[in-house]
Amino acid sequence: MRPLVQPDGNVGRLNVNLTAAFDTVDHSILISRLEHCGVKGTPLDWFRDPEPKQLPQHSAAPCSALWYAPVLVRGSSYTKIMTQNLYQNFLRKKEQEQDGELENMECPDLNLIELVWDELDRRNLSSFIRLDEECRMDGKVKKQKPHQQKHSGPKAEKKKLKKQNGSTEEDERKRNPKAFAVQSAVRMAKTFHRAQDIKTKKHHVPVVDRTPLEPPPIVIVVVGPPKVGKSTLIRCLIKNFTRQKLTDICGPVTIVSGKKRRLTFMECNNDINSMIDLAKVADLVLMLIDASFGFEMETFEFLNICQVHGFPRIMGVLTHLDAFKNNKTLRKTKKNLKHRFWTEVYQGAKLFYLSGMVYGEYQNQEVKNLGRFISVMKFRPLVWQTSHPYVLADRIEDLTDPERLRTDPKCDRTVSLYGYLRGTHLKNKGQVHIPGVGDFQMSDVNFLPDPCPLPDTQKKRALNEKERLLYAPMAGVGGVVYDKDAVYIDLPANHVKQLQEEVRPTTELVQSLIETHVTLDAKMAASKVSLFSGSAGLDPTDISEQSGVQEGLREIHVWDPHTQTQRRKVVFTGDEEEENDVSGSSSDEDDDGSDSDQENQEEDDDLSTFLKEARAKSEKATRGSTPPVKKPKLEEMKGENEVVTEAPVFADSEDELEKSEADSEGEGEAERAGDSGHCSKESEEDSDEEEEEEDGDDESMEEEIGADDSDEEEEQGTLKWKEGLQQKASAAFLRHQEAAPNLRKLVYGSVVEAEDSEEEEEEEELGGLFRVNRPQKSKKVQANALDCSHFNPDISHNWDLEEMLNLIRDCFVTGQWEEGQDAATLLKEDEELYGDFEDLETGKVHKGVTGEQDQAEKSESDEDEADDEDQQVKMDDEEVQKNKRLEKKRRLKERFDTEYDDGDATYFDDLKEEMQKQAELNRAEFEDMDDESRVQYEGFRPGMYVRLEISSLPCEFVTNFDPHYPIIIGGLGTSEGNVGYLQMRLKKHRWYERILKTRDPLILSLGWRRFQTIPLYHIEDHNGRHRLLKYTPQHMHCGASIWGPITPQGTGFLAVQSVSGVKANFRIAATGVVLDLDKSVTIVKKLKLIGYPYKIFQNTCFIKGMFNTVLEVAKFEGASIRTVSGIRGQIKKALSTPPGAFRATFEDRLLMSDIVFLRSWYPVSIPQLYNPITSLLLPVGQKDTWSGMRTVGQLKHDLGVRNKPSIDSLYKPITRAPRHFNPLHIPKELQKALPFKSKPKLLQPKGKVPRDLKRASVIREPHERKVAELLRALSTVHHYKKKVAQRAHHAKHKEFLQQKEKDEEAKMKRMKDARKKLYRIMGQKDQKKQRSSLKGTPQDD
Amino acid sequence: MASHGLTYEGCNFLRQRLVLSTLSGKRVKIKNIRSKDDEPGLRDFEASFIRLLDKVTNGSTIEINQTGTVLVYQPGLLYGGTVEHDCNPQRSVGYYLEALLMLGPFMKSPLKATLRGVTNDLTDPTVDLLKSTALPVMKKFGIDGEGFDIKVAKRGMAPGGGGEVVFTCPVRKTVRPVQLTDPGKIKRIRGVAYSVRVSPQMGNRIVESARGILNQFLPDIYIYTDHMKGANSGKSPGFGLTLVAETLNGCFLSAEMSSTPQGQGDPILPEDLGRNCAKLLLEEIYRGGCVDSSNQSLALLLMTLGQQDVSKVLLGPLSPYTIEFLRHIRDFFQIMFKIEVQKPLEDERKGGDKVLMTCVGVGYSNISKTLK
Repeated sequence: MRPLVQPDGNVGRLNVNLTAAFDTVDHSILISRLEHCGVKGTPLDWFRDPEPKQLPQHSAAPCSALWYAPVLVRGSSYTKIMTQNLYQNFLRKKEQEQDGELENMECPDLNLIELVWDELDRRNLSSFIRLDEECRMDGKVKKQKPHQQKHSGPKAEKKKLKKQNGSTEEDERKRNPKAFAVQSAVRMAKTFHRAQDIKTKKHHVPVVDRTPLEPPPIVIVVVGPPKVGKSTLIRCLIKNFTRQKLTDICGPVTIVSGKKRRLTFMECNNDINSMIDLAKVADLVLMLIDASFGFEMETFEFLNICQVHGFPRIMGVLTHLDAFKNNKTLRKTKKNLKHRFWTEVYQGAKLFYLSGMVYGEYQNQEVKNLGRFISVMKFRPLVWQTSHPYVLADRIEDLTDPERLRTDPKCDRTVSLYGYLRGTHLKNKGQVHIPGVGDFQMSDVNFLPDPCPLPDTQKKRALNEKERLLYAPMAGVGGVVYDKDAVYIDLPANHVKQLQEEVRPTTELVQSLIETHVTLDAKMAASKVSLFSGSAGLDPTDISEQSGVQEGLREIHVWDPHTQTQRRKVVFTGDEEEENDVSGSSSDEDDDGSDSDQENQEEDDDLSTFLKEARAKSEKATRGSTPPVKKPKLEEMKGENEVVTEAPVFADSEDELEKSEADSEGEGEAERAGDSGHCSKESEEDSDEEEEEEDGDDESMEEEIGADDSDEEEEQGTLKWKEGLQQKASAAFLRHQEAAPNLRKLVYGSVVEAEDSEEEEEEEELGGLFRVNRPQKSKKVQANALDCSHFNPDISHNWDLEEMLNLIRDCFVTGQWEEGQDAATLLKEDEELYGDFEDLETGKVHKGVTGEQDQAEKSESDEDEADDEDQQVKMDDEEVQKNKRLEKKRRLKERFDTEYDDGDATYFDDLKEEMQKQAELNRAEFEDMDDESRVQYEGFRPGMYVRLEISSLPCEFVTNFDPHYPIIIGGLGTSEGNVGYLQMRLKKHRWYERILKTRDPLILSLGWRRFQTIPLYHIEDHNGRHRLLKYTPQHMHCGASIWGPITPQGTGFLAVQSVSGVKANFRIAATGVVLDLDKSVTIVKKLKLIGYPYKIFQNTCFIKGMFNTVLEVAKFEGASIRTVSGIRGQIKKALSTPPGAFRATFEDRLLMSDIVFLRSWYPVSIPQLYNPITSLLLPVGQKDTWSGMRTVGQLKHDLGVRNKPSIDSLYKPITRAPRHFNPLHIPKELQKALPFKSKPKLLQPKGKVPRDLKRASVIREPHERKVAELLRALSTVHHYKKKVAQRAHHAKHKEFLQQKEKDEEAKMKRMKDARKKLYRIMGQKDQKKQRSSLKGTPQDD
Repeated sequence: MASHGLTYEGCNFLRQRLVLSTLSGKRVKIKNIRSKDDEPGLRDFEASFIRLLDKVTNGSTIEINQTGTVLVYQPGLLYGGTVEHDCNPQRSVGYYLEALLMLGPFMKSPLKATLRGVTNDLTDPTVDLLKSTALPVMKKFGIDGEGFDIKVAKRGMAPGGGGEVVFTCPVRKTVRPVQLTDPGKIKRIRGVAYSVRVSPQMGNRIVESARGILNQFLPDIYIYTDHMKGANSGKSPGFGLTLVAETLNGCFLSAEMSSTPQGQGDPILPEDLGRNCAKLLLEEIYRGGCVDSSNQSLALLLMTLGQQDVSKVLLGPLSPYTIEFLRHIRDFFQIMFKIEVQKPLEDERKGGDKVLMTCVGVGYSNISKTLK
């Protein structure tokens, strides 16, 4: 058989010779199998051929890539696709080769296939199986059960259908281009826009990744209401990770959970103080929820606290699920709780279910799963945490002097706090805040060996028992028992002490008093020694011996070779690390350096020495290659020193070597004594943690640069070369730079001295015996020198000389360039790359100079130089050529990359790349330094285990210490230690029931701090004025201004009314963010001044009662005023009497009853209350009872004071006077003009009728009366008759009218009929006429 | 809870101390200011500087004792805005401007300071020098943009003064870290030869002589002559030269020289001045580095105030002023620089030793700026 497998379906063919195989195979099965495998058509026909025969070599069938070589069948049941493996092997190999060497089929695996088949030819099939195994071993393919494809049934049908469709899907676009054409440009733009929007929304502002390589343990805070099983969960998790049982969980528990991860568990009790503090340091929050009860207020409160202080990862854990008996209710509850949790945290937040307890513990499998979740969890960086260093203290120790404690038990304590440093770099001596205690200055920071280190890197999956560490000193686990007495035998602390003493071998009194790591008798011994050295330092050898002993083996063994060899060499290698390594060593070197400086200086007293010489000298100095010349000089110098007793410049008490040398050179005893005395004093002053630098050296340096103040030489005042010091110093500075590379010493060496000159004086007095009378003046002159940033040039440089000019030739573009950047080389390289080109006009082809030619030329030109090295050159040539080719390739690739990649690179990508680069640089910069020196530059790295010493903590902190409460040491940034005015945006929490009142004290949690303060609420008007509000708005943001700690803008805060006790209601009153820090506050409140007019002219009036003096009025001249009715006016001028009255003009005439008011704005000052909550200082068990300033309402409630209402505001019965309206008066003119209808109809009352017009009354005679009576009776009768007659007439007339109507009707009807008849006739006539006209010609005519 | 203060002695480096105190928010107390001097206490120019500081800040308290020998400064917030200040003519405007350059980017509102007084004198870096070197340095730190400029409106020479300078500076929240390790080669030299109340020919004479020396190295030299007349020429006569060498990587090295003030010391010839100034430039080039010697402290300050990332700057030899500044930075910010000396190679002709300064920033952010 000779298979030729060809992948990718390009040129595939397989030649198969199955003669040997066919004899042992059931043909029917074989054929069906082959058919299934995709062998169709002719090749299948060959197999169908009943007679196995030699297949013709040429009749190979082209197959697709899916085609696998034939199936071999042994017996009828055993089927194996063997070549599949081989084929995959082949593919893999081919991928590795990468290049499209498809045409060449001579690849090893193909050969293997051939080999296999040949083998198959020779042997029988049973042997093939073994071979198959071997092949697999080669290919390292695991034995797997082959996939059984379905041949029938719905699945197979589906697949078939899919396959068919799949093939068509690809060219859908081609088949139906219209469907994919642009239908609407607008729509397309919209979709594009939307896509881009979604894409950009995913972008976050890139930040530099500052996570340390070995991160601190992850802080997991377990919170929840009481009795949900917090401690149980921690216990279970600890047991899961470390296989250890921890009975009492108090304080942080640190464990190693994996190869790269450590965890610190901290239980959060139900105190809102702890909740607030722990939310600030948590990386992950395990929020325990009692499912049988549901959510409790604490859960929501904690969630809100988290939201304000940057949202750490939150994982919910449901417990007490076994309380549900009914499965359906369980499911429902789970779902409900989950969705509520999601709305609070985020959609899809992880909620863990702990289904039940087994023997008082959660189920193992569930805890294990939870542990897995925790150990793979990723965390997001939180702004506050990444910008501040902080320590969650896991161990504290009281270092206060027991004697002091005895005499004054309430004295301030010196306490050391231990813990992992997190967040960012911590600077020594920085300011810190301990929430619940206050602000403190760290007196000392050291790093200690990690008590719970990560395992060393090894290639295994799990940790072994040894590496599963547990560290919980507060719980009494992890090597050290938390006990006051244990302080003295604590190993790490001792170690620190030793380190310190390495640094400063002369222990002083003060130091020994402060440090109480040693037992009393040891301390006594130490104090004796230090007393010696402090007062006189008469036996520095003793001290040095002691220090030597303490330093231990390491130091010595580092040291010795140097002493024997040339010391200079060490100095001038300029190796920073070494200097930093061991202070002693560097100081030694330095001394030498300074010596050489001295030397140089002396020699260069003559300033006109040629520069060349100077240069040579400095070079000599730098290389330190002339020890024999230097040695005597050094001695010479020493001699001089002896003469002038100028000790400190060269004295070095710390250095044994120096000392021994000095001894050998016979230096005076007294001088040495003086040195050591001085040194000890120095170190006393030096409270810095960094290495001690010996001052003599520093001072000499300083002097040389003429920059510094106190100089021992000046003290002595006997040096000759003190004159013209400034000039000389500046002249020597550059050379000094050349000679002594140890600039670090020069710069940072003696800062302490400048600072504590006061202490120095005290020291002197304290020292007593060897008090030096210093000429203070010289020092002061330096300190009061001219403040100028000019850097005076080196006088020795004579820029007229050609040599000098040559020194800077290459600084200019006209000078010589570096190897790779030279224009000529660059040009040549370009030539090589792009040299080939064809001139299209002339058709000439220009060939670039190839590398070989170039090389040849080069070698030719170099021939005379490199005669003897011919052989080597040749070798080099090849190398060079190869390199060149590589270089060429690289350049081309670079070019290609820049051309094609840059198109896609967005601003965002660039930014990200930049950040990436910065992060790499940050990591790389100090990587190879040892921690001691690295700490000085960077500060303490997060992830280190540090010991912080704080010297003045209140005694309650120690006496009332409760490990269940977290102790957090939060570092403060620059100027965050100050207090000032803060402007914030605040919103009352919507779940808090009441609104907040201005000037009611409120407890804020801001930054690290919790404090009580008095806020003023205000809102911004449209014109930018901040108007004071009496209360916070219900559902709106408002401004709040407080007096509090300076915190960077953008920091969130939350407010609570009180932190004591537990209330049923939601406790978080408000949340917000700091907007601004401004010392000038611009909150105003509205003030209405009221006045009354007392004299009114036309539009002018005099107003009194608004002001009290003329001066007040003068201030308000021109102010606008208004009456209640809305008449506007302006204050014009003050009147002399009565005082405070003024003239004002209005737009209309005022009435005397008007009230005038002036609307003004009065600035409000913010009450300066800043009251840090000191809850940690309260006695154990009462820590949640802190109460500060009370609100007015609380005070009144507590004291039982009730407001007395003003009499005016009381209700009384309303008596209303009846209203009286004046009659309406219409002017006569108007009345005249009015139409009659509208004219008032009121008749004029008749006036008195004059007498003459009055009729006299008639008195009748009886006869006349009778006549009149009769007439009246007659007329009455007549009237009656008339009336009856009239009535009858009426009736008659009515009848008549009816009759008339009837007649009329009948008449009308008749007429209608007649008209109808008439019209009918007329119509008929018309019709006839029409018909006839239609018929044609009129017959009549 | 006032923050822990620092105590110093003597009036030297007063500006550094006050500026760093303002930036760090730490109280500073300076004692024994010329206490043993015949005229004890602060000088007028120092008082003027303190007054300027008071103008640009808000809420700072300054206490000076009766004799002026003790100064206590509790810094407030940097406010900025439009500030006008009549500088004391004892020192030039550069004295005040150096401090303002350090404070300018960290104000609440963009600074527009008009300083009146002596623009050019011998002791302090002149305004022209700061304009041509300090601004490019600050631009490298991301302090850039519209209205970042120093404008010399009027020029006033030493004893009389009468010059006017307008310094405008935008506000930044953070400063970005820099890596300035390769200064590159000098491609051009520019300069300004100024003269006021003297013959306009002075400028040309200076230019001639200065070119004579510098042409040995570079052909691309152009020195502007700036002769101011009338109201713009201040109160005293004088002339001077400022030279700036620009490298391929955008670093600026400069040197300057002014004529001696009228009535003080020997008068100097413009030719000599030109020549000497050119030599000073060569000296500066010999020192080298990415930042010239007068702006070392500015660059170091901006590095310190950067994000918590590594910044690197290559400097020439450290000036005494810079060394003291480094100490002060350690006092105020607890930042120590890693100082590495780079020696020139055997056959390199690039001047003297360089110093590579490396530090991790404190992560300073402008707390004055308002968040909206």
